Amino acid sequence: MRLESWFGTLDLGEDGKVLASDQFSKNVRELALRSLSLREAGKGVPPAGFDLRSAALACGFVRSSEEYDSLLHEVTLDAAKLQISGALTPDQRIILAVEALDDVNETANVLSERLSEWYGGYFPESGLSGETLGRFVAKYGSRKNVAPEDPLYARATDSMGAELEAFDEELLKGFATSVCSLYDRRKQIEAYIESSMENIAPNLSLLAGPMLGARLISIAGSLEKLAAFPSSTVQVIGANKALFKHLRSRAPSPKHGIIFSHPLINTSPWWQRGKIARAVAAKLSLAARMDLYSGKKVPSLAEKLDAKVQQIRLQNPEAPRKKPDRGLKPKGKKKRRQ
Amino acid sequence: MPEVKTLSEGIFEITKGKKYLSTKNLDPGMTVYGEKLLSIEGSEYRTWEPRRSKLGAMVLKKFKIPLRQDSKVLYLGAASGTTVSHVSDIVSGGAVYAVEFSPRSMRDLISLVARRRNLHPILADAGKPNIYAHLVEPVDVVFQDVAQPNQAEIAARNAARYLKSDGYLLLAIKARSIDTAANPKQVFRDEIKKLEQAFEPKFEILTARDLNPYHEDHLGVLAKLKE
Repeated sequence: MRLESWFGTLDLGEDGKVLASDQFSKNVRELALRSLSLREAGKGVPPAGFDLRSAALACGFVRSSEEYDSLLHEVTLDAAKLQISGALTPDQRIILAVEALDDVNETANVLSERLSEWYGGYFPESGLSGETLGRFVAKYGSRKNVAPEDPLYARATDSMGAELEAFDEELLKGFATSVCSLYDRRKQIEAYIESSMENIAPNLSLLAGPMLGARLISIAGSLEKLAAFPSSTVQVIGANKALFKHLRSRAPSPKHGIIFSHPLINTSPWWQRGKIARAVAAKLSLAARMDLYSGKKVPSLAEKLDAKVQQIRLQNPEAPRKKPDRGLKPKGKKKRRQ
Repeated sequence: MPEVKTLSEGIFEITKGKKYLSTKNLDPGMTVYGEKLLSIEGSEYRTWEPRRSKLGAMVLKKFKIPLRQDSKVLYLGAASGTTVSHVSDIVSGGAVYAVEFSPRSMRDLISLVARRRNLHPILADAGKPNIYAHLVEPVDVVFQDVAQPNQAEIAARNAARYLKSDGYLLLAIKARSIDTAANPKQVFRDEIKKLEQAFEPKFEILTARDLNPYHEDHLGVLAKLKE
């Protein structure tokens, strides 16, 4: 019987003794590459319990047990490094970008609130906030510098805010510039995600929009995992808390997770949302699978989704009457019956 | 004067002000995850935080740890190497096959592995043991900490291929990753039953203890192959 090991091909006799061996050279990189190619080969797999170390010693590949460990250590280490360098696939890059975007958003919000608080002492009437305030402060600094053609000129000259001295002005302008650069970075990351999504997941991008699509991939962990999810999972991705509450107790099941941000769902009246969420999730699942396995854009998918949503809207034009005993009450009733 | 007490081969309890679980550092001067280094009579020890390591918790829960200085270990679910580093300390003259599926965790593991010659990293799915059959020899201990819903099956498949007939299986069962909604005690009972009956080979359970207070809803199990 012939089997493959990391150090060579072995021919075994009936009694399990090594009859002949075709040993590889002791080049670490070559051995590592061979080891990786053996993973998928699926033939010549050693029988359960086969003692590779003794075989390597018996056929003279290594002279001692220490040498065996030492060489195997280098080979497995090199193989693992080779695998890692290939592990950063396009969908993993998108996930990193989505996570970075969340961090940038959070930081930008915190810092722009800080700026609004800080600059408010010098020009409380500005009425600006967020990015517009950042741009304003970075441009003018003190309200005394506001140009006469600026719509805020009148308010700036007539403000109750304190005088902004040169020393403080420099500080605030610098701070505002930092805030603005965060907003710039946000746009840059969004553009990156949009173009990457168009490349690796055109159908998902088309149906969900690039940002929602990227978020779905991010939470699933990879495009492959997202494609493997049943659409009922896609429907509630991001609603973990509600879902587990539902599974553990009698709480109602969540109708939608992050796909709520899909315009077809969040612009619909509440009684249609659950049904539409289910239809959207079904098509998003299909889209993810098409993207993973064929990569071709299928525009008819969007039309089918629109048709389905139209149908749901026509069939459910009126709000059903809300049941008075929704929420916590049935829990008590059911318990009493038990 | 610090006092060193041996709890099991290669595992020590050092009393220096308070008690520290520790192993002898195979890579002197280096820490792996911010643990303390204690030098006593010419030897350097690394303290072992039981809250960060299920094996560490098992030691303190008085499990009989089957690791020897020259043991061969198949470690499934190596993660970033917190526990692996201590196993590497204990089996200083043996070998540890550290299987991990996540490239992200493997990235952290690599920097540890590169400094310890008794560690052999394998980036692969522990649920498919044939993938690493050309690398792994028969082992004395299979340690498993994979937090997968089918972890009993994974343990059995790996033991079938790699565990010597007189070897031991050590595993940590995380109730929450098997069933989020069920009662942990019930999950533990079901998993033990699975280990004893459901797959080939079948196991004989030697010790099964809750890892409270070090890990919530985790069960430590020591088993050997049923004859």
